[in-house]
Amino acid sequence: MSDTTLSSSTAVGLPAFRFSAAETLKHVVLIFGSLIVLLPFYVMVSYSFKSPAEIMQNIGGFFGAQEAFRDDYCIKLGKDVADCMVTPVIYNYTTAFEKAPLIRYLLNGVIVTASIFFIQVLVALPCAYALAKLRFWGREAVFGLVLFCLLIPVHAIALPLYIMLAKVGLTNTYAALVIPWTISVFGIFLMRQFFMTVPDDLIDAARMDGMNEFSIIWNVMLPTAIPALLAFAIFSVVAHWNDYFWPRIVITGDRSLFTPPLGLREFKGDADGDNFGPMMATATIIVAPLIVAFLIAQRRFIEGITLSGMK
Amino acid sequence: MPRSKAPYWFVGPALFLMFVILLLPIGIASIMSFTNYSLGNSGAEFVGLENYEKIFTRSTYEKMFGATFRYVFVVVPLSVGLGLGAALLINSTKRFGDLYKTIYFLPVMAALIAMAIVWEFAFHPTIGIVNSTLERGCGTVLEVWGWYAHGCERGFPLWLTDRDYAIWTVAFIGVWQGFGFNMVLYLAGLTSVPRELYQAAEMDGAKSAWDRFRLVTWPMLGPTTVFVVTISFIRSFQVFDTVEAFYPQGGGPSKSVYVMMFAIYEKAIQQNLMGIGAAITVVFLAFVMFLTLVQRWLVERRVHYT
Amino acid sequence: MAAISLKAIEKSFGDTSVLEGINLDIAPGEFLTLVGPSGCGKSTLLRILAGLEAPSSGDVLIDGRKVNQVRPADRNLAMVFQSYALYPHLTVGQNMMTPLRLRDLSFAERLPFAGPLLARSKYKVLWAQVTETAKILQIDHLLDRKPGQLSGGQRQRAALGRAMVRKPAGFLMDEPLSNLDAALRIHMRSELAELHRSLATTFVYVTHDQAEALTMSDRMAVMMDGNILQLGTPDEIYNNPRDIRVAEFVGAPKINLLPGHLDSNGHARCGGVVLTRVAATSSDKITIGLRPEHLSLCDDTDPEALKGRVVHKENLGADIYLHISMKDGAHRLVVRAAPLDGVAVSIGQDIAFKRHHGAAMIFEAGGKRIGLDNNAGTAVAEVA
Repeated sequence: MSDTTLSSSTAVGLPAFRFSAAETLKHVVLIFGSLIVLLPFYVMVSYSFKSPAEIMQNIGGFFGAQEAFRDDYCIKLGKDVADCMVTPVIYNYTTAFEKAPLIRYLLNGVIVTASIFFIQVLVALPCAYALAKLRFWGREAVFGLVLFCLLIPVHAIALPLYIMLAKVGLTNTYAALVIPWTISVFGIFLMRQFFMTVPDDLIDAARMDGMNEFSIIWNVMLPTAIPALLAFAIFSVVAHWNDYFWPRIVITGDRSLFTPPLGLREFKGDADGDNFGPMMATATIIVAPLIVAFLIAQRRFIEGITLSGMK
Repeated sequence: MPRSKAPYWFVGPALFLMFVILLLPIGIASIMSFTNYSLGNSGAEFVGLENYEKIFTRSTYEKMFGATFRYVFVVVPLSVGLGLGAALLINSTKRFGDLYKTIYFLPVMAALIAMAIVWEFAFHPTIGIVNSTLERGCGTVLEVWGWYAHGCERGFPLWLTDRDYAIWTVAFIGVWQGFGFNMVLYLAGLTSVPRELYQAAEMDGAKSAWDRFRLVTWPMLGPTTVFVVTISFIRSFQVFDTVEAFYPQGGGPSKSVYVMMFAIYEKAIQQNLMGIGAAITVVFLAFVMFLTLVQRWLVERRVHYT
Repeated sequence: MAAISLKAIEKSFGDTSVLEGINLDIAPGEFLTLVGPSGCGKSTLLRILAGLEAPSSGDVLIDGRKVNQVRPADRNLAMVFQSYALYPHLTVGQNMMTPLRLRDLSFAERLPFAGPLLARSKYKVLWAQVTETAKILQIDHLLDRKPGQLSGGQRQRAALGRAMVRKPAGFLMDEPLSNLDAALRIHMRSELAELHRSLATTFVYVTHDQAEALTMSDRMAVMMDGNILQLGTPDEIYNNPRDIRVAEFVGAPKINLLPGHLDSNGHARCGGVVLTRVAATSSDKITIGLRPEHLSLCDDTDPEALKGRVVHKENLGADIYLHISMKDGAHRLVVRAAPLDGVAVSIGQDIAFKRHHGAAMIFEAGGKRIGLDNNAGTAVAEVA
């Protein structure tokens, strides 16, 4: 901000055209960057609209001509040719849902991300409250442990976690997808920092009103922590909706447990030329929820994702 | 307040999970890295330092470190530099700043696996949009550039399947995905630079934008930079999605994209060689923890800053 | 030493007008204070003078040269900021050296590491200037510290040092004392005034604290709503305010204001008070201003005595201010009493006091001061 106002105010000495030339140059650079950033999004959405022929020949602009083409698979099923003429965009999106249980994948994604977030809060909130506001023997040690655990990226210890889950026979279950993420030391740290700023008087007042510590957490601390919690929710949901590495390790084969990224990966695995369109449609469907949510509530999302910068 | 057991009930579950999910695995990995354990086998033999010896001597792992470091040392400086550059540019333009910010942040939000598949299309040697766009530039002034002329004549690179280009192409996607995140952190850092410092610099005679950057912006962004660099390191060390999407088997042309996370996955999960996988995990953890500790030390050293 | 002139300066941000045609001439070597409540435009005016902000219209002249197009660094003015704006990553010495480095060294000589080797003798000269200035301000023992390790007062001196070291033609100060604690603030007032005398340079000082303006400046300009209401010596401003807003702003405790009217003979009346002096004009509604020191306790048999009840007592040691609720209940006045008289008074007590003749100020409904005249045609017998 400061730079902006300053440069405009000190530009009094410069002829006006030079200033606007600099401004134009900046926009040229920024627009060029935007084009590169947007390129794959353009390709993804565009291909999801086009027929296989248009994709292979790289024609048809953004939307494609939307001319009906013959669906060979349909003909193989012995149906009449006239019934098998399909519009590319409809073909792509219906195939995306028919060829693989995409709805199921999306639902799995929702179940997994929601339960991860729910358990993370359930575990982290009381712990953060105790670390911030209660005095007990060993508090410093516990907090020290939290700080140490912040050093450990869960992806890095995926292998021993996998072995542990395999030993108790939990691979290929929802539990395997959720368990490693139930503890978010970052969440504890974050909520503790937040609770430190809540005045002690508020808690004392609640105690005077006869609340026990447990109800203080859920009736007093939780409501005050909503903004921080919302940011953490975004942080958590984005990370786990998009996560590919961990599901890839613990879910092998059982398609009914696939999360959206896994479903897309499998689609790619057995894609042939005809399926590029439907595959891009799948990719679009998987990426869309977060992108749309982000476009609607940008400021909150950026806040949430950059939370880790608060350390 | 009477002494109560409540705090222990509150801390207990978190403590338990921390031990079981974060600390115990480190212990297991460390122990396993000295064995030739594999899942399904009843027992395992103690093999001493053999696994580590392999990691630091065999050519496969030499390639692994080579690919990882090549990737990291391209992605970190570029994504930090571009993040800073974009933040400074956006901060100094009068209009459309928010629009650019939104656009540059999009890749951070999108599932990397999905975008990797799209990039694979874009980089496709024959039907990909990258090469077809490059071909359109043939016959123009761009041919003055030797590389470009060569491409027009003999065909442009195969990118992802080209041994000489594969790792750089994957790194490019890493930069593409990560710099928006750094940009947002830098933008936050820039808003916290006091305006009066720029005015003081102006009064003191810092006339050029460069002087002001050297005197005020860069030093004031110091703490942000420390954080951005560390997090970029940790994130790029953990690259997996793109590599697995492009090269489900073997880690790319001549194993040139055989990064550490993929090596762990391949050795331990695909080939059931848990011992060696654990050893790579331990080495990996050591890197990451070392980096984070360096960051904390740097941050603490700057406490007197404000 | 620089003479500074501002000619018809206007400034607006979007639709809001911040400065409305300011004309101001500052004499070489003068200590001029711009004082006014926050939002009056005084800081903007200072920034325009410094070149940090461009005026919407009007000219800034330094020693007769028009500097509208001259960059801040080339105007040979130094500025002390409210937050001091010291570079937190540089030591005090490096902070003070910065303006010298940027002015006297070439780009190559400023390079880190290589620069100091290239231009060793130049660096020595600059450093000598820094230590010399630091000695004057008694911060030479702090040159190796970073701003974060200094107390508020020390930072203040470091900021002054950075401004002084390049021997500018004028100093611009933007509320430099507002971040200090009360005792230090009062101490620094006299120190700054002394510094001004010894440097014999033009000082332009911005503050919202009327006490600072009164104690330090040669002349002060009282600003409100983008205009200079009155420009004059502190003495003039205090004793002879031209506008009711100036009268209200300057002086603590505030001036007592009583509503009244002018009778047909031009005498100001307010309840039982009638002034002997007359106004040339006759306007219906007026306001009578009486400073606390223009009232004093008296015997309740005094024919001029006014009566009221003490509602609050402020004991400042040297003076005691009595807040008095008038008998009619509508007005409250503050009366200064000498400690000996004031101590005996207790809250709730009824008390008599009177005004000093010739001290009252009359303002018309619009706020302008009305001149009063002793040579009235008809003298009116005063009624108590």
